[in-house]
Amino acid sequence: MHDLPWQSLALNPLAAFGILLALGVLGGQIAVRVAKLPGITGYILSGLIIGPSGLKLLDQQLIDEAGLFIQLALGLALFDMGRRVDLRWLRREKALFATALLSGVITFLGLLALLTFSGFPMAPASLLAAIGIATSPVVLLELVRESRAEGQVTERLMASTGLNNLLSLTVFTLALSFTHFSAGHGVEAFILMPGWLLLGSVLLGLVAGLLAIRLNVWLGGGKREAQTVLMFGLIALVVGLSAMLKLLPALAILVFGLATRNLERGYAVAEPSLSSRSSFFFVAFFVAAGAQLMPLPLASLWPPAIGFVLVRSLLAAGSWWVAARSNGLPPRHGALLGLGLLPMSGSAVILMTMGALTLSAGAAEFSGFLLSVLCLTELLGPIVTRFALRCAQETRD
Amino acid sequence: MLEFSTSQPLTLGVELELMIVNRRDYNLTRGSDDLLHLLGRRPHGYDIKPEITQGMIEIGTAVHSDVNAMLEELLAIRALLVRTAEKLNLGLAGGGSHPFQHWSDQRIYPKERYQLVSELYGYLAKQFTVYGQHIHIGCPDGDTAVRLTHYLSRYIPHFIALSASSPFHQGVDTLFQSSRLTSVNAFPLSGSMPCVGNWDEFNDYFTGMADLGIVASMKDFYWDIRPKPEYGTVEIRICDTPLGVDTPVLLAAYAQMLARQCFEDGWDDISPAHYLTYSYNRFQACRFGYDAVLVDGVKKRQTSLLEDMLDTLNGLLPHAQALGIEAQHNALRERILQRRLDSHWLRQVYDDSGSLSEVVRRQSEFWMYEAPALSVN
Repeated sequence: MHDLPWQSLALNPLAAFGILLALGVLGGQIAVRVAKLPGITGYILSGLIIGPSGLKLLDQQLIDEAGLFIQLALGLALFDMGRRVDLRWLRREKALFATALLSGVITFLGLLALLTFSGFPMAPASLLAAIGIATSPVVLLELVRESRAEGQVTERLMASTGLNNLLSLTVFTLALSFTHFSAGHGVEAFILMPGWLLLGSVLLGLVAGLLAIRLNVWLGGGKREAQTVLMFGLIALVVGLSAMLKLLPALAILVFGLATRNLERGYAVAEPSLSSRSSFFFVAFFVAAGAQLMPLPLASLWPPAIGFVLVRSLLAAGSWWVAARSNGLPPRHGALLGLGLLPMSGSAVILMTMGALTLSAGAAEFSGFLLSVLCLTELLGPIVTRFALRCAQETRD
Repeated sequence: MLEFSTSQPLTLGVELELMIVNRRDYNLTRGSDDLLHLLGRRPHGYDIKPEITQGMIEIGTAVHSDVNAMLEELLAIRALLVRTAEKLNLGLAGGGSHPFQHWSDQRIYPKERYQLVSELYGYLAKQFTVYGQHIHIGCPDGDTAVRLTHYLSRYIPHFIALSASSPFHQGVDTLFQSSRLTSVNAFPLSGSMPCVGNWDEFNDYFTGMADLGIVASMKDFYWDIRPKPEYGTVEIRICDTPLGVDTPVLLAAYAQMLARQCFEDGWDDISPAHYLTYSYNRFQACRFGYDAVLVDGVKKRQTSLLEDMLDTLNGLLPHAQALGIEAQHNALRERILQRRLDSHWLRQVYDDSGSLSEVVRRQSEFWMYEAPALSVN
């Protein structure tokens, strides 16, 4: 006798995506209405509750199957963040460029020192410190959208996030090369592979940028809807191609966005920002990120994880506080900007997987530690960043 | 009772309201606080202040009798503003209205007066995110100011056409050359000054309105032209902020020539009959620019605005010579003969690019970097 349909129910990816969205929205609203928290925190908590570490409504396989939407969300956010990096501005406003870069370097060195002091070998420590440079573009964009923040702190926070993501991915690639070198792998592994990751990703982003500009010029400004669909398509294509070519999707997309903003006739590319039309991707992204959080390692690794988060925040806030005046900001706003850089990048999990693969020994400690840090930054990051933007009086609420 | 301060006749001052835009999609942005904070770090001595919403900033010149000196000051203010805005990656632009901003996105500037206006007028306050040029003309006394206010009301369509630069509103081409005035018209105390004959009558009117609790100061009247007793001037408020930094000086020169004509001729033909067609002529100029048809309610005839402006300019030539501003007189004549409207330029950019963001990008580049057509002596 055949089973009736409801006797062998199994969630498919579409149903999983539906659950991510519906529960995410409910969780977000509860967070906003009851606890006055940012909606993002609600989405992440919803994910944590229904995910493998909670009620197990969603297992890892289903989260993986909804990965298409999540990667697209990350792609859209990174593209938008790349468009926030205005090279003409950075050429004129060298203080911003220097501060963002120095803050990233200081954060890297500080985290490296902390991790090696805490007993991590140099290779995993450098990978973790490189990942620690970057701020999450998705969290920032969604928070700015939700709180409708506008002003110098917001603008510099965005530009700085674009730059620290670029720096983080570059340093991560170099650290990866160093890891291969220390493990005694061949030249191919420690020079060619990182070189391919870095240059290939940049090249793919640039080519996509040129193509997007040409196509948008050809379409003309009167075809806004067609331009928007085209850009969604190109972003999906770049994410997909970089995965196929084993490149860094995050770097390729960032460069893609940066190219469309800064190359000649880049203004032809559709505005307003694509991410503002993509909130359902972002809800799914945050719920999935919450579902992937693993609080278990935090139980044993909380002291160094808290140390990592504190040092990272203090160094960023300190650097921006010192450089506030040359950035045209009151010192207090500089410190708030540094504090706002707390959320860690959404591509950290992808980088974690890449890093873990190259670390023959200590991969488990490396992943466990990063998951602990992510657990803290994903839950605290949105709250702290919103607090910073509110104190700078740049939000509407 | 309002005291009218005496000022030197025919001296001038202009105020310009400017857009503050981001350089990403060129929408309006909350930038006035950041700009003012940075400007305030070094004393500059210029009059730069916030306006009702945070995507606006107002600049004002000192009192000038020479329009070339006025242009020189405007260029100096522009240089300071451009340096500051570049550091903050903000764009500044002329134009009477932002083509695609949404009024509900605007934020009221946190200043007591603006908060009160917002409380009283509700959404009208945010819809007032439009950008105008104000021209002050010095008058010796209140009676002269009342006469000049009535005299200039006949030339309001001229000023509208010369400055029209707001063809788009909330993302749509309005078919108007100046759509900004529609936002002003919504206020109950907009329009024109009542037909009072002298300063005493004006004071009686003002006191009556104040006693009824409708107004507290002259600022509460949103008229197209109004006496400004504390400055000792008549203030023309009808103009859109032009796209270029030099056009405001041409408009001021035009006002100066007209005022001189009024004073020299001893004009005193104050009559309600002149106001019969005031709103209609104003509408015609807003809608059609130089192609407007003016109706003279007293002489009962129609004339083209273009012809009327050229005739007026011919009559003003002796005054231009007396004031030493023939170059500005010629420039105005050229502008009219070429039927040059800022609104046409904006529409042309839109037709070429299909993008309102691109329109604002170009108008911002124009205000910030374009060299003035008339050089400073």
